[in-house]
Amino acid sequence: MVLVFIENPGDELSQQALVFARALGEEVQAVSIDAGYAPAAWASSIAEVISRRGPSAVIAPGTDRGNELLAHVAARLDLPMAANCTSVTPGDPATVTRVRWGGSLLEEALVHGSPLLLTAAPHAVAAEPVGVEISTLTPSLDGALGVIEHQRATVAGVSLADASVVVSGGRGVGSAEGFAPIEELAALLGAAVGCSRAVTSAGWRPHADQVGQTGTKISPEIYIACGISGATQHMAGAKGAKKILAINPDAEASIFASADYAVIGDLHQVVPAISEEIRKARAR
Amino acid sequence: MLAAGLVLAAAVALSVSAFVVRARFLVALLRAAPAVDRSNHVPVRVRNEATIVLGQRKLLQRLGPGLAHAFIFWGFVVLLPTILIAMIGIVDKRSTLPWLGHQGWYALLDDVFAVLVLCGVLAALWIRKVQRPPRFEGSHLGEADLILALIATIATTLLLWHATRIALGLNEWPRQWSPVSNALSHLFARDSATRVLERAFVWTHVLTILAFLAYLPRSKHLHILTAVANVWFGATGPGGRLEPLRFDDPDVPEDQLRFGSGTIADLNFKEVLDTYSCTECGRCQDACPAFATGKLLSPKLVIMGLRDQLLAQDSAPLVPGAVPEDSVWDCVTCGACVQACPVSIEHVDQIIDLRRHLVMVDASFPAEAEPMLRDVERASNPWGKPQSERADWAAGLGVDVLEPGVPAPEYLYWVGCAPSFDERARTAAVSTAKLLKAAGVDFAILGPRESCTGDPARRIGNEYVFQAFAEQNVATLNAAGATKIVTGCPHCFNTLANEYPDFGGAYEVIHHSELLAELVRDGRLEPTSAGGRTITYHDSCYLARHNDVSASPRELVSAVGRPVEMARSGKSTFCCGAGGAHMWMEERGKPINAERVREAAATGADTLAVACPFCTVMLDDGVQTTGAELEVVDVATLLAEAIPDGSPPPVSESRG
Repeated sequence: MVLVFIENPGDELSQQALVFARALGEEVQAVSIDAGYAPAAWASSIAEVISRRGPSAVIAPGTDRGNELLAHVAARLDLPMAANCTSVTPGDPATVTRVRWGGSLLEEALVHGSPLLLTAAPHAVAAEPVGVEISTLTPSLDGALGVIEHQRATVAGVSLADASVVVSGGRGVGSAEGFAPIEELAALLGAAVGCSRAVTSAGWRPHADQVGQTGTKISPEIYIACGISGATQHMAGAKGAKKILAINPDAEASIFASADYAVIGDLHQVVPAISEEIRKARAR
Repeated sequence: MLAAGLVLAAAVALSVSAFVVRARFLVALLRAAPAVDRSNHVPVRVRNEATIVLGQRKLLQRLGPGLAHAFIFWGFVVLLPTILIAMIGIVDKRSTLPWLGHQGWYALLDDVFAVLVLCGVLAALWIRKVQRPPRFEGSHLGEADLILALIATIATTLLLWHATRIALGLNEWPRQWSPVSNALSHLFARDSATRVLERAFVWTHVLTILAFLAYLPRSKHLHILTAVANVWFGATGPGGRLEPLRFDDPDVPEDQLRFGSGTIADLNFKEVLDTYSCTECGRCQDACPAFATGKLLSPKLVIMGLRDQLLAQDSAPLVPGAVPEDSVWDCVTCGACVQACPVSIEHVDQIIDLRRHLVMVDASFPAEAEPMLRDVERASNPWGKPQSERADWAAGLGVDVLEPGVPAPEYLYWVGCAPSFDERARTAAVSTAKLLKAAGVDFAILGPRESCTGDPARRIGNEYVFQAFAEQNVATLNAAGATKIVTGCPHCFNTLANEYPDFGGAYEVIHHSELLAELVRDGRLEPTSAGGRTITYHDSCYLARHNDVSASPRELVSAVGRPVEMARSGKSTFCCGAGGAHMWMEERGKPINAERVREAAATGADTLAVACPFCTVMLDDGVQTTGAELEVVDVATLLAEAIPDGSPPPVSESRG
């Protein structure tokens, strides 16, 4: 028998965990938990079900909660656990293929131990209805470490990674103070402000603002790059941009090779002029 | 006589057993360590013993301190038989070692070397107490003082013992052979006081040696025994090769598989021996570009940290217990530490093994390097560019792209990711291709079938990914029948030439500077020396230090301009800051590239010549940061500029 943890009855990833569990070729039973999130207490209750029903494997969806819960179960039972599996072949040891490196590497691994503890990588199998009755557990949360309150993260301004418009400055900005016109334009457009590595190296802006290979990867609708030469290291972070507007006095700058729109000129003249035009247009 | 003999025997027994107890512990740790095969290249190992140990070659890289050490070391070797002579003298003051004890020339050697040892000790004290170089920062200074005091006592008592014997007429050798002891003998009368002093000196001499023997395996001075072994087992090939991890070796049981160094149990035989051999001289620290620019890493402290945790038998994780995590990531794998080390410690291998564990087991590494690893795997290049664009740089140059199934021409030009995709590094590839065409060299590129060699993944510690690429690239190259490979990237060069042989790829690999220099030498390329430029050439670590290529790029520089040298050049070059996957990491502390650019600018050159795509990008960035008046140009581009465009020199018939 295979026990499947259902995070939310009916959700896609829990359905996928059920489909994944069928690959083991045994009867599938499902449990969900009706209590505030408290990983250790939840795990204790799953461990209790394991000792009562004796499953050969326990499968959870490869979500944050599924992984954390099963890790707690594994620690409690002193068993190995394999997270984010895309397939499993039963046996002793069982063979699993699992996703590592943020999706970049598929690892084939042998998993020992009984029961087998696996989480199913999201979208490795298609969700389909599996006719299984879900029994609901209600663990006691007395004294358990749990979630008391949920609070949405409040980010000041627009996050660089998610912004639909990004205005960036490079070495051509010249100084920390030189970012004033860039910040002004960003404010007018509701955009995030970014910069190149040269800028963070010079200490003009924090590393959190850096767009590039070793900074933030952005994917805006439009990327306005001011005084940025367009080194490979920088463009690696901006390749998700749908359109690029480059402003640079050097017509030979390599950024123009990737730009959709180009202004050859000094950003200290061009950027304020754009802001001015936007203000005028809005005033009309 | 009998009493003296008994006391001496007891002292020897005490000292030897104290030595053996500790030595057995140290040997047990060595025997328990995972093996590493260093049984090959015996003639090279013999030569290393002769030059590095007996000849003190690496110590003499710094003449002053090197000579001070060499005097003490050579003195130690020459004076070894006097230990026996002194012990015989203790038991019976009228006896000595047969034959040798009677030789005038040996008495002369004793005198000369005892004095040289004292000079060495005085010089060492001068360096430590007056000069106080920063390389000793973090070393055990008190321990060093004690050791120097013991050595001085041994040498001084030897001279004084000989002097009192001469005064008493007990010398078995002709006194005129001992200029120093003979001169000192005039301080002593032929009386009972001198007879007491003679006994006191010989006892002090022998007891100090016995105390030293007991102390030796408990101190950093252990190196006098372990260094000989460490040099023997040192890497014999090019310095850039890393030991591969054996993931798929069926001979290695699963529980003995190593994934780098996580705890002391993972340190292999050579790594353990390295820690026994370190005497904290700090030459590695002095040479380290990371240390020099204010980063946490000191190669010396890495080895000391590992040693302390090993000897304490502490099975906690090595990082951060023995080595702070930042130190592990600061390393640019330039190998300056390994080159500086007088006892063949392999700091870079140790650090890479720590990285391997952090990356492959703990999945813990600088977050900003993750896109590089992902892109190498997904896109076969570190920037995630489409493979279909890999040959775009060659558009319009008429470069042959080798199709599958077509055999490779004389030279396969392995371009590398940076020259293929990076706009600044591309120029060198374009220049190289034009020059090879002009000289009529038969070559082709792999185009989209070329991929990352895996070097950045390997240097950051991801051996899985590296080996996958090594196997794939070796398969491609072998299928194409490639025998000669020319490349413009020293990192590709190192991987192709030194690391792919471990994966079944054996090629003759040359750097573009070598091939171009040969073409100039043969007259197939004739630069018109404009001579306008003053050029300083920056040696790439992976070319000069790791692979000994430094003459060819200089030939090209001399052919096209006026060369000037930086102080740190050739094998003693200073990194640009990109090695060890740092091209894809953020730098803490002062930037290494700016430091190097300032050094280049100080030569008064107007051109900073390079022969590596990463040096090109890093130093060009450094020029922009520092505002130096320098143009960073690859040697291939310098040569291409000096060849009249579009009119390649005719190749004479006789030179087929």
